[in-house]
Amino acid sequence: MLRQIFVVSALNFRSLMGRFWQSMVIVVGLAATIGVMLSMLSLSTGMREAYSKAGDPGRAIVVSKGADQEGQSAITRADAPVIADAPGIAKDKDGRPLADRNLNMGVPVLRKDGSKGFTTMRGLADKGQGVRPELHIVAGRMFQSGKRELVVGVGAQAMFQHMQIGDKVILPNGQWPIVGVFATGDLLEGQLIGDTETMLAALHKTTYNSVLVRLTSPNSLDTFKKALTTNPALSVTVERHSDWYKRVGDQSTFVLALLGYVVGAVMAVGALFGCLNTMYAAVSARGREIATLRALGYGAFPVAVSVVLEAVLLAVTGALLGALIAWALNDGKQSMFGAMVFHLSVSRAQFELAVTWAVVVALLGGILPSIRAARRPVVEALRAT
Amino acid sequence: MRYLPLVWAAIVRKPTRAVLTLLSVTVAFTLFGLMIGLNAAFDTIAERARADRVYTWPRYGGAAPIAVAHQIEAMPGIKAATGLNFLPGYVQDPKNQAFVLMVDQNAAKVFGDWVPPDQWNVVWRERTGIVMSRMQAQRWHKKVGDTFTMICKTIKRADDGTTWTFRVVTIVDDIPQIFNGFMFGNFDYIDKAKPLADQGKVSEVDFLADDPAKSSDLAAQIDHTFANSATPMQTITEKLARSGNDFGGLDIKKITFGIALAGMFMVLFLTGNGIAESVRERFAEFATLKTIGFSDRAVTIMVVLESALPCVIGAVLGVGLAAVLARQIPKLMPPTFSMPMPTMSPAVMLWAAAAALAVAALSAALPVLRLRQMDIASALSGRS
Repeated sequence: MLRQIFVVSALNFRSLMGRFWQSMVIVVGLAATIGVMLSMLSLSTGMREAYSKAGDPGRAIVVSKGADQEGQSAITRADAPVIADAPGIAKDKDGRPLADRNLNMGVPVLRKDGSKGFTTMRGLADKGQGVRPELHIVAGRMFQSGKRELVVGVGAQAMFQHMQIGDKVILPNGQWPIVGVFATGDLLEGQLIGDTETMLAALHKTTYNSVLVRLTSPNSLDTFKKALTTNPALSVTVERHSDWYKRVGDQSTFVLALLGYVVGAVMAVGALFGCLNTMYAAVSARGREIATLRALGYGAFPVAVSVVLEAVLLAVTGALLGALIAWALNDGKQSMFGAMVFHLSVSRAQFELAVTWAVVVALLGGILPSIRAARRPVVEALRAT
Repeated sequence: MRYLPLVWAAIVRKPTRAVLTLLSVTVAFTLFGLMIGLNAAFDTIAERARADRVYTWPRYGGAAPIAVAHQIEAMPGIKAATGLNFLPGYVQDPKNQAFVLMVDQNAAKVFGDWVPPDQWNVVWRERTGIVMSRMQAQRWHKKVGDTFTMICKTIKRADDGTTWTFRVVTIVDDIPQIFNGFMFGNFDYIDKAKPLADQGKVSEVDFLADDPAKSSDLAAQIDHTFANSATPMQTITEKLARSGNDFGGLDIKKITFGIALAGMFMVLFLTGNGIAESVRERFAEFATLKTIGFSDRAVTIMVVLESALPCVIGAVLGVGLAAVLARQIPKLMPPTFSMPMPTMSPAVMLWAAAAALAVAALSAALPVLRLRQMDIASALSGRS
């Protein structure tokens, strides 16, 4: 049986070049479908990657109870030291807990194309770099605590105007100079960072948005969480930083991803009709050949399999082509959506997705024609011209 | 038209191919209609956006003293300014997010095109009155006279409550710029409910300029005036805010045209192949037609018609289907994600017609060329 399938398919593929343009319908159909879908998904995938890179399983974030975004959370000045004193937090070399009070707010920016947009300005306190060792300065210097200074991420610098060292950002009660450029490799790169306490004073605010802590080990989350949630004086939610960003990332990219899948699905339906059409034509073009094989004693099943295999081969070729185009056009390109700056991404998982879709389309589009091929009476097919 | 029976006979000769081609073309044009329609919807919004209406809000969130509104209204060149308070919250479950704009009576001047003046008067009569646009009324299943209750945990109230109760006093038409509809309540209701220290503050000031041509200068002037104050402002004209198909910083025009083009490219291969195959199969027949006196022109028309028929029918069906689907989009999108409803404007239909004809012409080009150059004698004898 396997040998028969192999022989019939080999014969089939050898005649494929004779049906080149016909076969291209499937290849182009899938290439267009997958190219469009992965290009659209590169946005949500890139955003999710930027979020997930920012989350570290060795960190925990503390926000006010029930808040699922930092913007909705308020941690009072009185609560912050209580949180920092909880067990499970790693200590710096002076024995002080690595807990950092964060501030988080939107700032208007001018995009490079002249349109107005937003990014996030984040306040880090004295333990900022201790908690986030991935943050490093690539040009200029770090802001000094107590001073009205900002550092800008490399992503923000690439996407927005007036983000060079020496440029000034309008903040309440004055304009703050940018003194340095930082990189983190994650979504923070699209943001501006300054000193929490100085910002708080300038903004006339009395609450932080979150407290970020470095855990003694990823396993100490439970100890830390228990200490905070059982403390009657506090009303907070504790989440592992990686889980937090995974959730926020999924939430904020859900609709974008959905749009990509919906457009992809619509195109796939179009490609499916094209695939059916091509395979029916292929079966009728190969009528004589198939009938001869059947007359020689080859079974109906190997014939049917060879038809489906042809569809799969063409569809997968098209899908990989489309995925390659989407990858070449998008992957790694700096982009933004809303207040987020990130790199578009067409990942390995996306290629796998492309192949899966292609196989599904090919199966749906190949099975009916394959049944026709297998069922066609041999004598009739041999007589047909 | 007299060639139609011949063309029709050619198409129905292979019914499977005809139906599958038509279905594929229909799907591609559904996507085309939705994409170009979405783009058209953004264009309409940009067009209808008013150049004389300007929005300004505290650059760093929070609230500005209401004095800012008065200060702006007193500036030369400004017709009217209204101070707004945002009331964000939810109905019953945090998943059902709701948003009410709490406005003072100047809103009747600044937003006279959203809510007609007589309807504004109905709102001013009741402190807890609320006006809903149809979409919002539908979403919360409210009619005039109903009570609308929402929960807001982010705005501190003097009585520490979190429940806000309104009475629906009127329901008005939606406007295209606000995709999910809108709700307005009374500024006094929210302002007086806050602790004394928080009263007299606004989340945003919206105003009308006397001269639309000067509104961007006014916007820059306001940013400059408040830059060094306790509440620096961020000002933008409605025109600018709504122009450029702005969608989170993405270039919507490029994306929608790209997708529509990819769909067309896909069907071009399908229809092109179909027609080429059909001509190849009937090569001898075309030779016969030419022999009995059909001109090159007549044969060309027949092939182009055969190629155009599925494209045109598919385009009509596809755009029709897109129009039906577009109506469902606002219902399917989560309320937190706003996207306008694609409109099948005359321009969209023109684009679709042009695309259909282009696909038909490109598909027919090679077969037509072959037929024109055919050697009738060898074609008749079946040698080519």
